[in-house]
Amino acid sequence: MTDPAAAFTAPARLGGSRAASRLQRAPSLLTPLALAIGAGFAFPAAFVVWRTIRLEASFSETIGEIPGPLWRTVQLAVLVSASTACLGTLLAWVTTRTDLPLRSMWRIVLVLPLVLPSFVGATAFIAGLAPGGVIHDGLDLIGIDAPRRFRGLGASWFVLTAFTYPYVMLPVSGRLANLRASHEESARMLGCTQRQAFLRVTLPELRPAILGGSLLVFLYTLSEFGAVQLLGYDTLTRVIFATRLSDRALSFASATVLLALAVAVVVAERRLRGRSTPDRRAAAAGTRRPTELGWRKVPATLTCATVAAIGIAVPVISLGVWARRGLAANRVSFGDLVDPAITTATVATITALVTVIVVLPVALATTRRPGLGPNVAAGFVVGGFAIPGLVIALSLAVLALNVSAFGFLYQTLPLLIIAYVVHFGSQTLTSAEQAVRAVPDAVREQSQLLEPNALRRAVRVDLPIMRPGLLAGGGLVMLATLKELPATLLLAPNDFSTLATEVWSGLEEGFYAAAGLASLTLIAVSGALTWLLVLRRMDSAA
Amino acid sequence: MVGSTVGNTRGALPPARRRVIRPSLASVALDSVTVDYPGAPSAVDNASLDIDAGSIVALLGPSGCGKTSLLRSIAGLERPVAGSVSIGGSVMSSASTWVKPERRSVGMVFQDGALFPHLTVNENIAFGLKATGDRTSRSERTARVEELLTLVDLDGLGDRLPDTLSGGQQQRVALARSLAPNPSVLLLDEPFSALDAGLRVQVRADVAKILREVGVTSIFVTHDQDEAFVLGDRVAVMRNGTIEQMASPDELYRSPTSRWVASFVGEANFVSGTPSDGGRQVATSLGSVSIDNADDIAGAGAVSVVIRPEQVEIAPGDDAEITAVEYYGHDVRYEVRLSDGSSISARTHPDRLLERGQRVDLALDTSTKATAFVTHADAP
Repeated sequence: MTDPAAAFTAPARLGGSRAASRLQRAPSLLTPLALAIGAGFAFPAAFVVWRTIRLEASFSETIGEIPGPLWRTVQLAVLVSASTACLGTLLAWVTTRTDLPLRSMWRIVLVLPLVLPSFVGATAFIAGLAPGGVIHDGLDLIGIDAPRRFRGLGASWFVLTAFTYPYVMLPVSGRLANLRASHEESARMLGCTQRQAFLRVTLPELRPAILGGSLLVFLYTLSEFGAVQLLGYDTLTRVIFATRLSDRALSFASATVLLALAVAVVVAERRLRGRSTPDRRAAAAGTRRPTELGWRKVPATLTCATVAAIGIAVPVISLGVWARRGLAANRVSFGDLVDPAITTATVATITALVTVIVVLPVALATTRRPGLGPNVAAGFVVGGFAIPGLVIALSLAVLALNVSAFGFLYQTLPLLIIAYVVHFGSQTLTSAEQAVRAVPDAVREQSQLLEPNALRRAVRVDLPIMRPGLLAGGGLVMLATLKELPATLLLAPNDFSTLATEVWSGLEEGFYAAAGLASLTLIAVSGALTWLLVLRRMDSAA
Repeated sequence: MVGSTVGNTRGALPPARRRVIRPSLASVALDSVTVDYPGAPSAVDNASLDIDAGSIVALLGPSGCGKTSLLRSIAGLERPVAGSVSIGGSVMSSASTWVKPERRSVGMVFQDGALFPHLTVNENIAFGLKATGDRTSRSERTARVEELLTLVDLDGLGDRLPDTLSGGQQQRVALARSLAPNPSVLLLDEPFSALDAGLRVQVRADVAKILREVGVTSIFVTHDQDEAFVLGDRVAVMRNGTIEQMASPDELYRSPTSRWVASFVGEANFVSGTPSDGGRQVATSLGSVSIDNADDIAGAGAVSVVIRPEQVEIAPGDDAEITAVEYYGHDVRYEVRLSDGSSISARTHPDRLLERGQRVDLALDTSTKATAFVTHADAP
């Protein structure tokens, strides 16, 4: 459950180097503190691996149960990454480089599917295809029978592609906009046709962006739980969740395999990304003329419209129709959602706050005391984004159950928030580092001369300058928390419900109206946050 | 330099035959070319230009004068809305004809070099050899890349990636890459402007040497007069989308055809005077001077004469006062205020250094002829 902005930041962050600050002071507590925080982030994953090794007694029995789900997980992740890589790149090119009509509108509309958590998307399609659903009735009108079986690999592939391609489209669009026109023009002058220039010059330069985006999709698919569960596709996350109480050895072994898979794919992506370093120089202004699509405007527009329909319009309408029926029949009401909505907002806000507070020392250490220690700490924080939420949740739940010192945390809100912080900390780190860097050394030196009290200096100078960056980082965490499902299901206290768990329980009971209404509320809230955090920034950057 | 290290593979061929770069020399003709961008005045307005095969021409002008647009329409990266572009006698662009950039046999070096960051130096140089229609074999390609590397003096750097090279090295790779497919015409768009001042002079000299050696028809855009003069056989001065004057550097400097060219190309004092002897002589407050373009001013009442600073002779005296001294080492530039309040600049050898505030007398060097323009009521 990573986030759109992480699509730009997280992979780049893994290899980032930073210039040393001029203000090198005597060693402080910052580095040890950062290392301690980093260790905290690494702990859940380490615990899972350690427990799996410790449980080796039953390992030989459980091992036979893993290959099936593992194969299905890999299959789905590869298929979804491949299809999103193609679709995302195509849409990025069409909306940034051509004379497609209304392309600036499409640039925004085509990002919107990000707003829907994939389990909500799956919900929308299941509800829409059910008798009485909009897709079912719509297809009926034009004389087509709706597929009776929307399950398994195909359905999961379809749903995940429809809702995750923006992870590729966003970074590729950004890269396309920054590539200098002179590269393609050089290729033309050296005898390449337009198509050859794209394949030989532009595509290789897009490769890091495509790979980075596909990596996010791959990790997202690995950790996907809700959608595949709803669509009856048996992956590792499903095994982890289903056996967490009955067969803990299998659950842990599956979690370890999932973890290994995530680490392997991150390493593979770094290898594949290749030798070219991103060209950070700004693009030459204004000389590029958009590619003329000609007659291809029609298929291009149809493609954009279809993708947007599947990714946002149809799901929202489908959910809306069910919700309206429920409201009309007084079977559901917005009143039912007030408590979950308040809980969701409260938990998301607390999580955002805690995450920023926890990650800030690491950001301070990496930017103001660069060195091996802070980099290791940052690596652990960033690594959290590759660990499926379910694995973190499993680890923390078992830890609380089995280690008496942590027993008081079991099924409490703090444990859930710890899980969120570990899982989403990476999304704050880049923003926090940018926030810290926003305070220029000269300003810090000046403020040291004018305000001798370090605390007052922090309040009067540093924090006000860092505020926008920290808010952005916190916002990303809020957005991710809103949409999180599996960790919430696993760790939430009894009688605790968020919008996401409301959607889930509505569906489990086959109550489409309740699921629809909760989904729409969730979409509205996360849509507003996405607009604030991503689309608005995209506009100001353009 | 050419072939000196790789010549052994080709035995005893004379040096000229060993050259891999054999451009088919082509002339370039632009006829009334107009380039428009939506919502702006024409970038290029009815520009005509004839460039001899094998010559090096500079397009010189202030930023925004349309010189890059003109270059890009020769490349085929811009399509003129009117006029025609011909290369080697065949029409590339006109109302009825359009040849795509990749089919024009034109090479281009961009301001930023535009090296492909994902390819090594060798792969960058070989890029155009693998494009459509080129049947070069692998071994020929390798040999050609080697010779081009030698040509631009970058032997041994073939396996490096572009971002490990200095700016000057990158520009030389870009040059080698453009020359590799043997283009008939080479275009260079402000090729040195991204370089540091010191490096620029060096790279400029290197490039000048290479272009002369190869002998390819070259057109380059610059806003730097020194660059245009040093590199160009001929210089076309552009202003507001039109070509003001095209001539050799010496002719441009000595005989500008307009006041604007006179002041854009080098520093000019405009000294007013009265013509006599059918315009062949003009009497000014600094003395009498022979005029080059007598026919243009014959019969005019008042003219202004272009006096270059080095034509002003300056000696201690009483007529005027030095208000500023700029010491350059090889010469000294003085600003001098005349008794009528006007200012004039002078450049002299630094052996008799004068000081600010010193009183001086001025005279004109009468050994060379000057250009004069009829003074219009609205001209300063």
